Amino acid sequence: MPTDPKALAYLAAGIGAGMTIIGGGYGIGRLAAAAMDGIARQPNAAGDIRGAMIVAAGLIEGVTFFSLIVTILLAIK
Amino acid sequence: MIPWALLAQVVHEPAAHEGAEKAAEGAAEHHEGIAEILMHHVVDHRYSDLYLFGVNVGPSKHLLWFGIAAAVVLLFVRLGMRSYRKGVPHGLGAALETLVLYVRDEIAEKNIGHDGHKYVPLLLSFFFFILVAALLGLTPFSSTATGNLSVTLGLAFVSFLAMQWAGISKYGVVHHFQNMIPPGLPLWLLPIMIPVELLAMFTRPFALMIRLFANMLAGHMVIASLLLLIPLMASINLAFGVGMVPISLVLALFIMMLEILVAFIQAYIFTLLTSIFIGMNAHPAH
Repeated sequence: MPTDPKALAYLAAGIGAGMTIIGGGYGIGRLAAAAMDGIARQPNAAGDIRGAMIVAAGLIEGVTFFSLIVTILLAIK
Repeated sequence: MIPWALLAQVVHEPAAHEGAEKAAEGAAEHHEGIAEILMHHVVDHRYSDLYLFGVNVGPSKHLLWFGIAAAVVLLFVRLGMRSYRKGVPHGLGAALETLVLYVRDEIAEKNIGHDGHKYVPLLLSFFFFILVAALLGLTPFSSTATGNLSVTLGLAFVSFLAMQWAGISKYGVVHHFQNMIPPGLPLWLLPIMIPVELLAMFTRPFALMIRLFANMLAGHMVIASLLLLIPLMASINLAFGVGMVPISLVLALFIMMLEILVAFIQAYIFTLLTSIFIGMNAHPAH
C-alpha cells in the first residue's frame, strides 16, 4: 500500500477524474436520451430542442470541467 | 486528463517493481520530463519583461496568439466586407454572412428579443474571436489564447458588463436591482433571495470563464498526453514504443477532429449564454 502523500494524490486524482466522468456522462446521457425522445415525438421542434440541449450540455460540462481541474491540480501540484 | 493519471501510474510502476535506486531515479527524472512537456504545452511563456504601472505586460506566447487571433478576425471580416461592394456577396463574404446571420437571428434575436440587434456586434465579436482563437490553437507551433485563464477572465468580464448594462440602461440602476427579485415574493423569503440573486449575478460570468478555459485546456492536454504515450512506452521497451505510434496518432487525430467541433460549440455556447443572460436582465419576470 502506498503511503507516500504524492502517490495518494495521484490515486485521488485518478479516482476523482473517473467519478467526474461517470457523473458528467450520466448527466449528458440522460439529457441526450430525453432530447432524442422529444425529437422523435415532435420532429418539427428538432431545432429548438437541439439548441436547448446544447445549452444544458454546456452547463453540465462546465461543472464537470470544474472538478476535472481540481483533479489535475491534485496530480500536478 | 485520464490518460495523464494513467501515465503517472505507469511511470511509477517500473520503479516500484525493480526497486533499484538507479531505475527509480531514472523513472522519477523521466516523469518530471513528461509532466514538464505537458505543462510546457499548455502554460504561458513570457518572451521578455515589460513593466507598465508595476504590471508585467511583456509579450508572451498567449499574448502573441491573442493578437494574431484578433488580427485574423479583423482581416477576414474586412476581406468579407469587400465582396459586398458589388452587391451580392460571394466567396468569403457569403460564408461569413451565414455565421453572422445565424448569430443575429438564432442567438441574439431569439434570446434577447426585439432589441437584440443592439448586442449583435458584441456577440459577433465573442463568437468570431473564440472560434478563431480555438482553431488557430490547433495549427502547428501555435497556442490557444483562450486556454489562458486571464484571457477568459477578460472575455467573461466584458460579458458581465454587458449583462449589467442591459438591465441598467433599460430600467436605471435602482430598478435594475429591484428586477432581480420576482414580484409577489413573500417578504420572509427576501433574506434568502437577495444573497442567492447576488451570487448568481457573479457565478454566471464565472462559469463562462471556467468553461471556456477548461475546454480549451482539456483538449490540448489530452492530445499532448496521447502523443506522450509513445516515449513513455518506448522507455519500457522499444517495441512497445513503435507499436504505440499508430495507436497514439489515430487517437490524437480523433481528438483533434473533436477539437474542431469543440471550437464551434464553445464559441456558440459562450455567445448563446451571454445573450440568454442579457435577455434575462433586459426582460425580467413581471
